[in-house]
Amino acid sequence: MSNIEKEARKKIRRAAINKNWTLFKQSRLGIVGLGIVLFFAFLAVLQPILFLTGVWNEGVYDPVVGYEPERFELLVVECPQQYPTEKYQEPNDCPARGEVNKVLVFDPSVSVGDYYETSLQPAPPSSKHILGTDSLGRDIFSQLMEGSQVAFLLGLLSATVGVALSTILGSIAAFFGGRVDAYLMRQSDLVLMLPFLPLLFIISAFVELKVWHLAVVLGILGGLGGSVITIKSAALQVKVKPFVDSARITGGSRMRILFSHILPNVAPLALLFMVFSVTGAIASESVLSFLGLLNIDMSWGLMIYLSQTDGYIFSGLKYWWLILPAGLSVTFLAGGFYLVGRGLDEVFNPRLRDR
Amino acid sequence: MAKYLINRALQMFLVFFIFLTSSYLLFNAMPGNAFQSLLLNPNLPPDAYEKTLALYGLDKPLFERLQLYIINFFKGDFGYSYIYFPKSPVELIAERLPRTLMLFSIVNIFAFYTGFLVGKILAWRRGSKSETWITITSVFSYTVFYPWFALLMLYFFGLKLGWLPIGKFLYPEKWYDAPFDSDVIFVNMIWFTVIITLVQFIAYVLTRNIESISIRRNLRFTSFVLILIGSYFYWGTGEALVRRPYAADIAYHMILPVFTVTLLAFAGTALLTRTTMMEVLKEDYILTARAKGLSQKRIRDRHAARTALLPVVTSFIFTIVTIIDGSVLTEQIFSWPGMGQLILQAVLREDIPVAMATFSFLGIFALVAHFLADISYAYLDPRIRIKSQG
Repeated sequence: MSNIEKEARKKIRRAAINKNWTLFKQSRLGIVGLGIVLFFAFLAVLQPILFLTGVWNEGVYDPVVGYEPERFELLVVECPQQYPTEKYQEPNDCPARGEVNKVLVFDPSVSVGDYYETSLQPAPPSSKHILGTDSLGRDIFSQLMEGSQVAFLLGLLSATVGVALSTILGSIAAFFGGRVDAYLMRQSDLVLMLPFLPLLFIISAFVELKVWHLAVVLGILGGLGGSVITIKSAALQVKVKPFVDSARITGGSRMRILFSHILPNVAPLALLFMVFSVTGAIASESVLSFLGLLNIDMSWGLMIYLSQTDGYIFSGLKYWWLILPAGLSVTFLAGGFYLVGRGLDEVFNPRLRDR
Repeated sequence: MAKYLINRALQMFLVFFIFLTSSYLLFNAMPGNAFQSLLLNPNLPPDAYEKTLALYGLDKPLFERLQLYIINFFKGDFGYSYIYFPKSPVELIAERLPRTLMLFSIVNIFAFYTGFLVGKILAWRRGSKSETWITITSVFSYTVFYPWFALLMLYFFGLKLGWLPIGKFLYPEKWYDAPFDSDVIFVNMIWFTVIITLVQFIAYVLTRNIESISIRRNLRFTSFVLILIGSYFYWGTGEALVRRPYAADIAYHMILPVFTVTLLAFAGTALLTRTTMMEVLKEDYILTARAKGLSQKRIRDRHAARTALLPVVTSFIFTIVTIIDGSVLTEQIFSWPGMGQLILQAVLREDIPVAMATFSFLGIFALVAHFLADISYAYLDPRIRIKSQG
């Protein structure tokens, strides 16, 4: 390839990127989604930086084994037998913040009205722990950052694996047709037939699922399943375009037609699929760790799982820092990717645009 | 076409055979088996475990078991459940399926209908402020972390307000002296739902071609009122009167799961409808309809929405397939003892006959739905038909 041609190609590519960026900017929700995704990416990157620069002490802030030995002064009270009383409206209100129930203090020398020094877990948000600590004294904010690392790793890896598989297989099915097509379609039937969650239960029974494994498994299941069918129907529409015929007439080999004519034209749709499947992967990871089936140290699903098994999820908003951050993070990151996908959809699909 | 169909049916059979084999091998690859808890019981004689295994034929080599299972499967013999011993998987499915169907058919009807309405409005009001807000809400409910949201709903409506029951599908104390079991009521309720849905649907189809919007709306409303009166009479007479309090108990337990799942499921339909409808609105015939001077509402409802319905209906068919798959999580959270819980229990406790029966039940369902979708695509789009055969 000559230098001039290279230059020209570079210029064309740059112009295309500029044009697409302008189009993407027009969809406001797409920009919002991009902002959300970048925010979580920032959180994911921030945690190792904080540890490396020594702003955070690993003993205190480690998401899995950290512990804060801070002591609090608590007023010892006795919870009444009957509600409501003057001080407490319902059983949930006692002990109030800064108080401890006498029954729960296993020290006979302490009586009602004394101050009792203890480490309070889960501790409410303070200047040291922005989002408080969980029932084992670990920093929630640090867990949130660790969880976003897991979500990004898993979502992007599984989406890449899945989309690469389904794009290649879908184009091959459309291009060769006949037996290859029939085989690939029946294979995706087979994958679609297996119920998704129970299948993951079975797999987690005989393989210890770590984040990497889960990402690959989700990617393969997604890549062999329904998306092959969609990509195939898109590739069929490309296959009947005149430029494929002219490439064939000028003597292009099958591989060349497949990889340099059909694949690039399916690629936008594949990119779209990728962004949407990140949403699905994040949700499945959270569901699996919520059910306690993954061998992961920390993730958003696990945080919700812990707050549920510790019984805080039914305590209302009194322990909001255990309930809200993790659930909202899953929702927002998945929603952010979804909005980015919608913005991209408007870039690639002219019919969805305003003008 | 006949050749294509026969070919396709043969392939389907082959796929099902492979599916059966591979899922049987998958279940057997799981470590341990359903009877290992016998080893932990010191009161049992030491050979109890081996004897039980021999009784269930689990001591035979894997290949022989697989062969036996597949031969028996095609004879219509699915064996006996390991956990609920004297019952066969078919009995278990017949017991559990109505509960799941009842819950999720109502959810899907609601979700599909509201989703389609919302999506239509979204595409129509594109660029307005209300569009942005509705979109944000539906994206939120589309991507919200489902178990978390369901637990919060349970907390709020079940515990904090105390309006609705927290789990299960009935109050056992009300059923002590019930003259029938709950499945009779479930089947009864399913038939009732199917019939009223059909009546309303027929009313829609019949009034479809009436020109004036106000007359059409009034007719539809009349049919709705007629259905209400009819169901009042149905539940007020004869045998249904005896069943009414029990049916009401089940319906009361259904409110919260139906509400929660509908809130989450409608968004998918709404977003899909919006996209397809926006593509349709750019078509030339919409411009023609505008140029003819038709009213906006008429263009929206009669010209655009009807075309946009097609892919939405296809996706609806596929949702029906995933109902039972998706019910696993819902039933776990709301402790609703349906098909999802049956699958979950069977898989986790390695009750292979039940697990295989439920898996193949779902598999056949999915296979047939995919087959129908394929045929309808081929029928609708000649390009795909010619290309996929050639």
